[in-house]
Amino acid sequence: MKTINKKLTKYFALILLTLLVVGCERNLDDLSPASYPANPDIFIDGFSAGLNYASFGGAVPTAFDVDQEVTFDGTAASMRFEVPDAGDPRGAYAGGAYYTDTPRDLSGYNALTFWAKASQAANIDVIGFGNDMGESRFQVTVEGLAVNTNWKKYIIPVPDPSRLTAERGMFFYSEGPENEKGYTFWIDEVKFENLGTIAHPQFTILNGESQTDISFIGVTKNISDLRAYYNLPTGVNQEIMLATSYYSFQSSDVNIATVSDEGVVTVVGGPGEAEITATVSGVAAEGKLTIESIGDFVLAPIPDKDPADVISLFSDAYDNVPVNYYNGYWEPYQTTLSADFEVNGDHILHYTDFNFVGIEFSSPTIDASQMSHIHLDIYLPNALPGDAQLQFELVNEGTEGSALYSRTIPMEQAQQWISLDIAFADFSGLNDRSKLMQLIFVNENGNMSSFYADNIFFYNDGTPPPPPSEPETAAPVPTVNASDVSAVFSDSYTVIAGTNLNPAWGQATVVSEIQIEGNNTLKYAGLNYQGIELGSSQNLSAMTHLHLDFWSANSTSVMVFLISPGPIETPYTLTVPTTGWSSIDIPLSEFAPVDMGDVIQLKFEGNGDIYLDNIYFRK
Amino acid sequence: MKAKNTKMHLSLVAAVLVLLQLSGCKTDDFQKLDERNWELVWSDEFNGQEGELPDATKWNFDLGIGDGGWGNAELQSYTKDPQNVSMDGKGNLLITALRSDNSFTSARIKTQGKFSQQYGRFEARLITPYGPGIWPAFWMLGNNIETLGWPQCGEIDIMELRGQEPDIINGTLHGPGYSGGNPVTKQYGLPNDRFDNDYHIFAIEWDTDKIDFFVDDFLYHRVKREDVSGEWVYDASFFMLLNVAVGGNYVGFPTPETPFPQQMIVDYVRVYRETN
Repeated sequence: MKTINKKLTKYFALILLTLLVVGCERNLDDLSPASYPANPDIFIDGFSAGLNYASFGGAVPTAFDVDQEVTFDGTAASMRFEVPDAGDPRGAYAGGAYYTDTPRDLSGYNALTFWAKASQAANIDVIGFGNDMGESRFQVTVEGLAVNTNWKKYIIPVPDPSRLTAERGMFFYSEGPENEKGYTFWIDEVKFENLGTIAHPQFTILNGESQTDISFIGVTKNISDLRAYYNLPTGVNQEIMLATSYYSFQSSDVNIATVSDEGVVTVVGGPGEAEITATVSGVAAEGKLTIESIGDFVLAPIPDKDPADVISLFSDAYDNVPVNYYNGYWEPYQTTLSADFEVNGDHILHYTDFNFVGIEFSSPTIDASQMSHIHLDIYLPNALPGDAQLQFELVNEGTEGSALYSRTIPMEQAQQWISLDIAFADFSGLNDRSKLMQLIFVNENGNMSSFYADNIFFYNDGTPPPPPSEPETAAPVPTVNASDVSAVFSDSYTVIAGTNLNPAWGQATVVSEIQIEGNNTLKYAGLNYQGIELGSSQNLSAMTHLHLDFWSANSTSVMVFLISPGPIETPYTLTVPTTGWSSIDIPLSEFAPVDMGDVIQLKFEGNGDIYLDNIYFRK
Repeated sequence: MKAKNTKMHLSLVAAVLVLLQLSGCKTDDFQKLDERNWELVWSDEFNGQEGELPDATKWNFDLGIGDGGWGNAELQSYTKDPQNVSMDGKGNLLITALRSDNSFTSARIKTQGKFSQQYGRFEARLITPYGPGIWPAFWMLGNNIETLGWPQCGEIDIMELRGQEPDIINGTLHGPGYSGGNPVTKQYGLPNDRFDNDYHIFAIEWDTDKIDFFVDDFLYHRVKREDVSGEWVYDASFFMLLNVAVGGNYVGFPTPETPFPQQMIVDYVRVYRETN
């Protein structure tokens, strides 16, 4: 049936052509036969010949249907689109494309037109033609098409009909819920027409603006924001987004920069300047890109750190950890834009209109506790009006907040790579770097309008990481039988009742009990001396040793004393600082002449921060 | 004399064109028009330098916001600033309506006190502006407006256009008993085209019995003396006006979507009288 229809159509077209030729006495030689059918109809009262429909991925597959009740002007059928509610399990939106297997020659038409109405006032997200479910080289899109409850005729201009000699994408749409709610819209009488009533096309690239890029050999960049404006028969302008293929791009100096048919600009020479402009069917587009090529790009120095010592956020020299984004576009105060580029395979971050910008790496956060420095290379492409003040802010997850470091960039260091290696120790307020999640750059004095950045990574410079200031593990669990133990402080044993761990002896030491891995641990901060009063006098004549687990990263001297009335006291020197927990069993004979039949107190003297656990006497 | 020859030649070409169209694809009725011999008596070809104001020997300005928006609640203020009214250096007069936030400037020029004529052919070749709320006009008023007032003086609107209908012009007579919202008027629409796409010639041919309205020498509207409901006030000298109004009762407000600036591009204005 399809074939027959097609043949009929061709036959009819031939008759029409003949009539026209006879009627207007035009010379048949002037007319070259069209390669493809010029059928302008898409959906009049049903699918036109050869038309297929495919729903877009993620859309409700059944959103589109043919409606024979609600139609334009009482015609036989219309297209009905049911936009789902937000959260509809069948799909998030309504969307699909109408395309043909055999291309059509649409070069004789300058507009796609249709009638539409909706169950409520709404804006259809995108609607247009040229989506062939493939390359869609000549796609034209209207965004936010306003529909309401009345039938109204809509016109989508064809920018350059001569391009559409073999088009397969007849019509497409995509629309999500309005304020989370679904609704229905209808479209009817969809066809291509040749309208004399659309006028004054204006084409733009780069939003119609004149943009200047300081650039280098090897940089590539896409010409974006391709739009056109047509004045409709109502006197108002319609904006359309159009595919690159409608444009012809030109470079004023191909020795400096070339531009491909796809609008990809490549800087090939310099120093020098090239202007990239565009036309659509011979009409100059507004907007241009001026490339100011500096010439050969000098890449940032290649990092030489051992990958094993590096956690990289952005570098082609290392594997980068997951980064959420390199520019958060934080509203409402951020002005910084990104114009990242690639030179000979090396990716460079490029921040423009710089006031502040953040890089986020929160999923997962980065544990940089084994790292000592942050490295980055920056390049300020514009001459500086004065010294710049660049602030770095590192944010660790949690309430500890952020840490700041500020660096002066002398104005004479502009236009060259500056390698910065900043020790974490130089960041004020960086108490913890085990859950780093953001790195923020701030243009403190406003002198840096833009900069490039590369090789942003944390690294260990070879010096051992500073020891932790607190035990990361609990003290070893004692194995001595409880019946052989008289305990002063331990989670493993019943301790001597009534023992005072912090008697007021006029000491400066700050005593606290903290939990380490769920284990109660005694902490002496800022030790000068510290006593323990046993709940009752202890006869230790059956015991042989005093056991202690102790830990200190910063103490250079600690002595432990046993005391019997008199007082008679004897010190025993502990070896500090420790590497992890030290466990010691001190023979009680070391404390002579203390009376082991009447021990009433213990005492510690020394300096630094000491952690103690499992203080007990044993057999 | 030169103009006369040209006109006759033009008529001949027009006749041939009409014939061609008849035998071609058009189905328009053949227009059997009276033979006329027109002699050019006044014209402005607007061949001045770019930025030059209209020829002061031929044109006056209406300035400001008029009384009640020139009687029509129009929004623009008329100026004689070259950015609103000047030659383009390419043979055209540009009348440009500009928007600055919510205020508008434009221009209105007239031959009052410089030139007027009773009967004849009055024509302008121009490209209209467009957009909702834009109201260009080529029109005439009776010289006796200052003594008789409006509408007793009579008004002949050779071309008026609503910018939201860029394919339709209106030819209209206002006189006593048939003015304002009740004039003698007719529309002419361009089939599948619009008046801002290219130049078109708007003209009237006026004699003791009637006024004929033409677009591109196509007669679309004939008003005979006996057709008007009130007094026929067109046996006096009239002067010409060209302007671009913004807003007003006739056209409605401009919208945020109305493109600005808007220009009426006038190639020439010519006035003929009939000779035997």
